[in-house]
Amino acid sequence: MIYIILQLIIIIGLAPLMNGIIRKIKAISQKRKGASVFQMYYDISKLMRKDMVVSDTASWIYTAAPYVVFGSTVAAALLVPVCATEGWLNSAFMGGDALVFLYTLALGRFFLMLAGLDTGSTFGGMGSSREGLISSLLEPSMLIGLFTLGLASGSLSISRMMAESTAKAVPVLNPAYIVIFIVMIIVLLAETCRIPVDDPATHLELTMVHEAMILEYSGRQLALMELAASVKQLIIMTLIVNMFFPITFALPAGAAGVALAILLYAARVMLLSVLIGIVEVCTVKLRFFSVPNLAAIAFILALFGFVNYFVLGR
Amino acid sequence: MTTYMDIISLLILVSSFVLVANKKQTSYIKTFRIQSFLIALSMAAIGFRHFQQNGRIDAFILCALIIGLKVIYIPNLLNKTYDKVEHKVEKDFYLNIPILTLLACGIAVFVYFIVTGIGQFDNRDITMQVVNMVSVVLIGIFFMITRKKAIGQIVGFLVVENGIFGTAMFAAEGMPLIVDIGIFIDLLTGVLIMGLMVFRINDKFDSINTNKLKKLKG
Amino acid sequence: MKFIYLAVPVVIVILLLFIKKRKFIYELGISASLLEMLITLSITADAVSGGQASFKMSLGIFYLDSFSIIVLDIITILGFLIHIFSVGYMERDCKSGKIDEKQVRLFFILLNAFIFTMILSVSVKNMGIMWVAIEATTLASVFLVGFYNKRESLEAAWKYIIICSVGIAMAFLGIVFLHLSSTGVLTHEHQFLNFTDLTVNAANLDSSMLKFAFMFILVGFGTKVGFAPLHTWLPAAHSQAPSPVSAMLSGVLLNSAMYGIIRTFTIVNINLGNSVFAGRLMIFFGIFSIAIAAIVILTQREYKSLLAYSSIEHMGIIALAVGIFTPASVFAGLMHIINHSFTKSMLFLSTGSILQKYHTAKISRIKGILKTMPVSGTVFILGLLAIAGTPPFGIFACEWNVLLSIFNEHHFVTGSIAAVLFAVIFAGIVHCLFSMFYGETPETIEPGEPNKSGAVVLIVLFVIVLAAGLYMPDFLFNLLSNASDVIMGEI
Repeated sequence: MIYIILQLIIIIGLAPLMNGIIRKIKAISQKRKGASVFQMYYDISKLMRKDMVVSDTASWIYTAAPYVVFGSTVAAALLVPVCATEGWLNSAFMGGDALVFLYTLALGRFFLMLAGLDTGSTFGGMGSSREGLISSLLEPSMLIGLFTLGLASGSLSISRMMAESTAKAVPVLNPAYIVIFIVMIIVLLAETCRIPVDDPATHLELTMVHEAMILEYSGRQLALMELAASVKQLIIMTLIVNMFFPITFALPAGAAGVALAILLYAARVMLLSVLIGIVEVCTVKLRFFSVPNLAAIAFILALFGFVNYFVLGR
Repeated sequence: MTTYMDIISLLILVSSFVLVANKKQTSYIKTFRIQSFLIALSMAAIGFRHFQQNGRIDAFILCALIIGLKVIYIPNLLNKTYDKVEHKVEKDFYLNIPILTLLACGIAVFVYFIVTGIGQFDNRDITMQVVNMVSVVLIGIFFMITRKKAIGQIVGFLVVENGIFGTAMFAAEGMPLIVDIGIFIDLLTGVLIMGLMVFRINDKFDSINTNKLKKLKG
Repeated sequence: MKFIYLAVPVVIVILLLFIKKRKFIYELGISASLLEMLITLSITADAVSGGQASFKMSLGIFYLDSFSIIVLDIITILGFLIHIFSVGYMERDCKSGKIDEKQVRLFFILLNAFIFTMILSVSVKNMGIMWVAIEATTLASVFLVGFYNKRESLEAAWKYIIICSVGIAMAFLGIVFLHLSSTGVLTHEHQFLNFTDLTVNAANLDSSMLKFAFMFILVGFGTKVGFAPLHTWLPAAHSQAPSPVSAMLSGVLLNSAMYGIIRTFTIVNINLGNSVFAGRLMIFFGIFSIAIAAIVILTQREYKSLLAYSSIEHMGIIALAVGIFTPASVFAGLMHIINHSFTKSMLFLSTGSILQKYHTAKISRIKGILKTMPVSGTVFILGLLAIAGTPPFGIFACEWNVLLSIFNEHHFVTGSIAAVLFAVIFAGIVHCLFSMFYGETPETIEPGEPNKSGAVVLIVLFVIVLAAGLYMPDFLFNLLSNASDVIMGEI
């Protein structure tokens, strides 16, 4: 129980920092000084204190959506072991199921899309339809990827998968794992609206996806939406680092172990966000009609990892 | 070692998928360069093992040849050819890319089922590597069929060759040295001749679109 | 030491790089190919003087036995004759301004390189080197196919190099699997991939891998042989190449690719203990090629493409004969290789004369060849009768023997299909081509042979073809039966 609360605090506490790091990397690449890495914390606390403006045409869905989105994202966060040490990974609390995890996230996305449509503005609808397309294209890849890892560990529980990869020497250097790793990176970029698919920094009407859906929100609701988005990003990053580079699960239990685990965890996700920042700098945004190509590659890689594991059992 | 080879072979296969998904002719060449580099990497690994076991350096010679020819010389040659003949960007494929990649994936799965049916491959470490390489061969042919431009076809041919070389390398740690060197000579002359033909075709047809070569039938 | 014949074309290629004068080029080419022919004929004399005993000659990676000697002799004899013909042909092209001096030199350089790759491919025992040589034949001949540098010839050359390179690449995959099937059986590195060692140890090879290898090799070299449905490069290349090159491609090149298939075929059959698996594949490709050729020949409008399809048909017959795999059928298949090579080269060479006279490839625009060109015309019409399978020529005897051996093996369906298809092809050739011989010659064309030395070559070839049908000398019989023993698995 303590662990659950600890995990919650870590995830929500660290999430905005990742955005800050990515923005900082981009700023450095453009030879700007850039905002502080903690800028998003200030933004959120500022938004929390501001008033909200709600459109007259909006229904209850509009009001409920931020809470549902935030709630479901945080619920999904509870299903992923973050910085568990040895004993905790196998405890009853950590039996998170991969399907539940995926579809809890999907519930949030569903409400996000509804909220985009709800006010009846053009941009919201456009954003929702694009989000729908992207997520439906990428969902199969993520599912198959998780299934493959499930096959390897003999269970769909996320913690079992992580325990299985802890048992391997260098998990990412296994043929099935390495393709799933690439798939996960693609999914991460797409799900969190990163550059090859969507540009989080733009407010240009024709290209935005995620920003279009939350365009109408303000004040506390906007803060929740932004926070939910960054938490979601951190969860997927957590999944990647713990699935493919697990080092903390073998640490001994106890206060020292936990502290070390948290430090190691924070270090790994920060490294990953630096990496994402670099990827964002190096690539250009795809035309929207090219996104299916990316999705096809992700899907094929995932299928490939699956077949690889399934047919050859290795 | 086995795991290392497994991963390299898988990455070679992935690079051939990326090739099928590529749109521009320059990126075909880039992908081919990466793929050849991966092959050189695995050749180097085999070289180290041979060197440790009995002090032979055949594999190192081959590795150097691969890097010299396939990673540096041939891609540069193709780039040069491309610069001279191609002045506009055109669509170069018949089907759209998601369908192409899915079909390529179908090919790979097909090869899995065929090759794992061969008796000798049962329970052997090399099974997966051979499967991946044979898939690269077939995907290379598939790539050639679905592209219109001459450069795409040359790259496809080179990928087929890479796949076959890879099969030999992963399955039998390479053919006898003299055969391998003969293959390289053939490959080099083949590419030079094809490059020259591209110039001539461009001269006569004002395009390197092989779709226009359809006068001879029956 | 007789392997010196391999060095002759290499030396010639190097010398030709420095010789500018046309006359010297001609003389050098002819004398060198004569030398080559004499050396190989003396090897043949060694081989047949030993009587019934099988003949072997080996040096490092080089190796010759009765079977390879047959193919080798075809290459060098035709190489010599085609050299003589090319001299007249090139001279005329050069005078009519179609090509310039430089191209004449290029032609002879490439022709000799082409001959070298072919003789190399039949005189090595390492399947890998054989593959390298066969791939090199494509590379050496691609500029010969695209020699005139017109749109059509470029198209043909592009098709040729792309389809054949990929096909041959498949064959290499097969060779890799062949190598894999011998892991643990052949232990010394110098034994790897040698078909001699593979044949001796054939029974111990891994069967399923060997089957896989054979399929790839059949498809791969089959592309080069021109089995339907992999034949599409063949009519294009044959119809666009200069006629001496077409003769070379059809009469010689196809055989050396076939040689690679047959070598593997022997190994597979010994390993499996019977010819059911590999034989059926060969029979299928054979019948299918004959059928496709029969259909296309009926509707053909260009005489060189028609002859190209006829080559596909005859390669099909050879595959069929070898696929049946009885001593009699293999013997007939070998005889067919010889007869087809000479007859088809003769036909292609005479089309060279016709083309230079009439300047068109269309059948419908040609009338009255017999009057215009008495020698080429007569040789062409008799050659067509021969290739269609009329007695007394050799092809008839071969086809007859093939059919007989098929029925002896109780393959009644295969035999009847083949017989019907032979008849269809005969009708097709007669129907399409015989309008060329009669009728009024267009007035713009003056009578007379364009290529005097070429006419002599045609007559020599015709005598060979006729003699092969009427009489088989003892030494040839011995050589053929030794070769068929080799194919049947005696090493």
